[in-house]
Amino acid sequence: MKKKKEKEEMPTKKGSWPVQILMTFVAILYLFPLFVIVNYSFKTKKELYLESPLALPKSLNLDNYRAAFDKLNMGVTFLNTVLYTAVSVFVLAILCGVTAWAIARCKRKFFKFCYVYFIVGILIPYQALFLPIYIIGYKLNLTNTRYGIIFMYIATGISFGVFLMTSFMNTVPIELEESARIDGCSVYRTYFSIVLPLLKPAMATLIIMQAFQIWNDYLLASLYVSRNQLKTLTVSISSLFSAQSSDYTTAMAAIVISVLPIAILFMSLQKYFIKGMTVGAVKG
Amino acid sequence: MEKKMFRQYLLLVIPGLVIFTIGLIVPLFLSVRYSVTSWDGMSVEKPFIGLKNYIDLFHDKEFIDAWWFTIKFTIGNTIIQNVLALLFAVALDSGIRAQKIYRTALFVPCLVSALIVGFVWLKMFSNVLPAINDFLGTKFNFLLFGSSDTVLSGLLIANNWQWVGYWMLIYLAGLQSVPAELHEAARVDGANAVQRFFHVTIPMLAPAITICVVGITTGSLKVYDLLVSSTKGGPGRASTSVIYQTYTTAINGRQYGYGSAMTVTLVLALLLVAMLQVNTLRKKEVQM
Amino acid sequence: MKKKLLCTCMAAAMAVSSFGCLTMTAAAEEEPVTLTVLAGQSTTDAGIEDMIDEALAEAYPNITLEWECVDWGNDFQPKMQQYMQSGLPDIMIGKAQDVATYAPQGILAEIGSEYLDAGLDAARENVTIDGKTYGLVYNALYQGVYYNKAMFEENGWEIPTTQDELQAIIDDCNEKGITPFASHMVDTWSIGNVTMQFMMNDVFNNDPTWGDKFRAGEVSFSDSEEAQTAYNYNKLIYDNTYEDTFSLEQTDCDARMVLGEAAMKVSGSWSIQNFLDIDENFDFGIFPFPNQTGDSKLIFEPNITIMTSASTEHQDAVNKVLEVLTTNKDLAVEIYDYTKTASMLKDVTPTFANPSQEDIDKYAADGMIVDVTLGNNQLVWGGFQEENAKDIAAWLQGDATFEDALAASDGRVDASSAG
Repeated sequence: MKKKKEKEEMPTKKGSWPVQILMTFVAILYLFPLFVIVNYSFKTKKELYLESPLALPKSLNLDNYRAAFDKLNMGVTFLNTVLYTAVSVFVLAILCGVTAWAIARCKRKFFKFCYVYFIVGILIPYQALFLPIYIIGYKLNLTNTRYGIIFMYIATGISFGVFLMTSFMNTVPIELEESARIDGCSVYRTYFSIVLPLLKPAMATLIIMQAFQIWNDYLLASLYVSRNQLKTLTVSISSLFSAQSSDYTTAMAAIVISVLPIAILFMSLQKYFIKGMTVGAVKG
Repeated sequence: MEKKMFRQYLLLVIPGLVIFTIGLIVPLFLSVRYSVTSWDGMSVEKPFIGLKNYIDLFHDKEFIDAWWFTIKFTIGNTIIQNVLALLFAVALDSGIRAQKIYRTALFVPCLVSALIVGFVWLKMFSNVLPAINDFLGTKFNFLLFGSSDTVLSGLLIANNWQWVGYWMLIYLAGLQSVPAELHEAARVDGANAVQRFFHVTIPMLAPAITICVVGITTGSLKVYDLLVSSTKGGPGRASTSVIYQTYTTAINGRQYGYGSAMTVTLVLALLLVAMLQVNTLRKKEVQM
Repeated sequence: MKKKLLCTCMAAAMAVSSFGCLTMTAAAEEEPVTLTVLAGQSTTDAGIEDMIDEALAEAYPNITLEWECVDWGNDFQPKMQQYMQSGLPDIMIGKAQDVATYAPQGILAEIGSEYLDAGLDAARENVTIDGKTYGLVYNALYQGVYYNKAMFEENGWEIPTTQDELQAIIDDCNEKGITPFASHMVDTWSIGNVTMQFMMNDVFNNDPTWGDKFRAGEVSFSDSEEAQTAYNYNKLIYDNTYEDTFSLEQTDCDARMVLGEAAMKVSGSWSIQNFLDIDENFDFGIFPFPNQTGDSKLIFEPNITIMTSASTEHQDAVNKVLEVLTTNKDLAVEIYDYTKTASMLKDVTPTFANPSQEDIDKYAADGMIVDVTLGNNQLVWGGFQEENAKDIAAWLQGDATFEDALAASDGRVDASSAG
């Protein structure tokens, strides 16, 4: 850990100009579609039809944003999405942490089995299971409720979370835990006071990855919460992509609104996130 | 003491286990059950027909075509994404200025829902890029979604735009953990930059490669959202993936039992591919 | 300490999530009845729920509608499948062809005749099964060839009634550098839609039970010259449309037509909104796509169709909603004007400017109008027409032969009916 820090502070290599220029070009290519989204979101319908798609709008008119708020009932859908994402991610962070820790620390066969069992979940295309997923949800009174969709996000997100956290557990020194236990700490207390603080980078990775998946989820949300009062942003935006849609300037404005919060979350947690990713990449 | 701890650990695992089982594993078994019926997804009866659905799958041209498309899409993605992600990671790690800005620029697209990515690229190919032709007076064919010959490349571009930055971060993380001394030692031994890359960097990146290859392959095999808002599986059926075909069969075609058989085969294929990959790649890791 | 903090956070999170549910139940207690409504909409319909809410609040403030608006094409059927497992919403709004799909399952309730009587008789036939009517048809779309009136006048083109006359216009267009047909084949649904238009006039016109005979094995696409003619018109369009039709979206397609790049478009009323959005003075008319026998009829499609659950616990409230919908003429006009559709209620006429209305009235007066539900009921959209359209697209693109496309449609015979 310490060595890496030194490395960051004193870059040993000097970048060459061709690489710098090439990457600038690549970055511009990558940002171009995002620019197109933003550009479209300010255009009026007439500008859209009569002028080149590359032309900038004549004025920064916010009509599309207003229309997006109105049409998609954004006040409600936005809050819904925030709520589902925040609660699911919070519970996932707690749950994946303790599950992975138990799996990593208890050497019994049952826990080995649990690990494999969870990992299999990463491979299950829940997209193809939507009707049974709905039937289960219905039998448990989970459909068309807020806690139901949160339950499903936890169920589908836990596999990856456990996988990530388990790989990270190897980096947590076991000696600290042992001495805590000798001092009489319970298993739970050990976890929350000793282990959890060390998991910060992994948690950040988990939070970002799950947050942007849940925030962007389309299929589960359209299965469980399609009532107007319960809808999420992605589901309501998708209605603007439908067959006879003519309204794609509004769609673009809605896209901007939906991407911003998750982009901000990423920017603010970026530092931890990247640290967390190192662990997965290096330790496997 | 040991027993008490076991019980405490058990208590920690159980909630996750229960939620996961109810939410994902039970539906999977329900799917297996439906796959041996001719259920239409609506009526109360679910007539048992044994393995007929599975046998029919082998003669179903549309299903086989969907597999072909999915396989081509997956191979294309696995190669392009890994190569690009690794190249970009190496470029960013080479000590160029403002690394963070490039990193963010490349990463941001993967924060966007695949549904939106499909929609945006539909507009890119049909409106925006042709306008560049008008602007520059060039004649590139940007209408990639418009023909069955080019739709795959169009989707690969869209998918790579979305995901390369993500895998690049993983490679970048791997690269930054390669100790500088190793490079030094190789340099002293007279290895040039290319040799150092293949003999020092790549072996050290082995765990990252495993993650990326498995992640990209299994992710690509599951492609669905991207298609919903862009090509809708077309033109014709040229970009119909396995999940897309499953969905249209089970829902629009009211053949839920048959569609479930498709699901089950896909899950089996995914498990097989992932196991094979993890095993071979891990073996390589050890060898290196 | 840390643990306590976490517990508090957890409790707070749970409180927030249950708070959402609490407010919902509280609202339900204040109001005596809440009805659930599943509305399968096209984009042009989105927004009518607010109009209905408003009208209902005035007449029956005690009834609240809990809306679930989804896209008809993508999500209505999946949602119905789900609800058939768990119990239907009180009210479902779909298209007329949905009645044939769901009524045989015994899950829809009959609509009271007092409400049906407010509607036009023309709408009733195809939502009636064994003498019982399960759907209240609220509005209708017209489908045919939309044409640029000014362009037709300028070039001295008459409305074509035969294929030869149509071909003459196409030839003239090509000579003058005008694209004969606007189309957006990137949307496979549009191929399916026009194919059914062709089938109506070349197949169902002469043989109203062709679809049933198809299932009985008496006719097939591979053998029926008429059906093949209908499929072949797609080629005629494809050969005479924009080169980039497989990349061109509806809005851009319509914009080009309004700007005078194309002369005609085989489409439906949903294009009106687009046309007028781009240029409110665009003058257009409509005629049925000419068939081989020169006796094509203009196609109308009953659109918004209200169905009710057979097992609702609030039949009275449901009836009150039906009452508001059928008696509140201001509401009806508001909805028709907003969706740019035709009325299916007696004595209600929309007030929006529809340049094609003149043509529609003419065909209606001559009795040259046919309900496409006839065809849609016999050859269902999901799983059949929709899939055939994909084969047609593959054929047009040269990825499959014409024979392949026909054989594929024949092979799908089991999926051609919902029953």
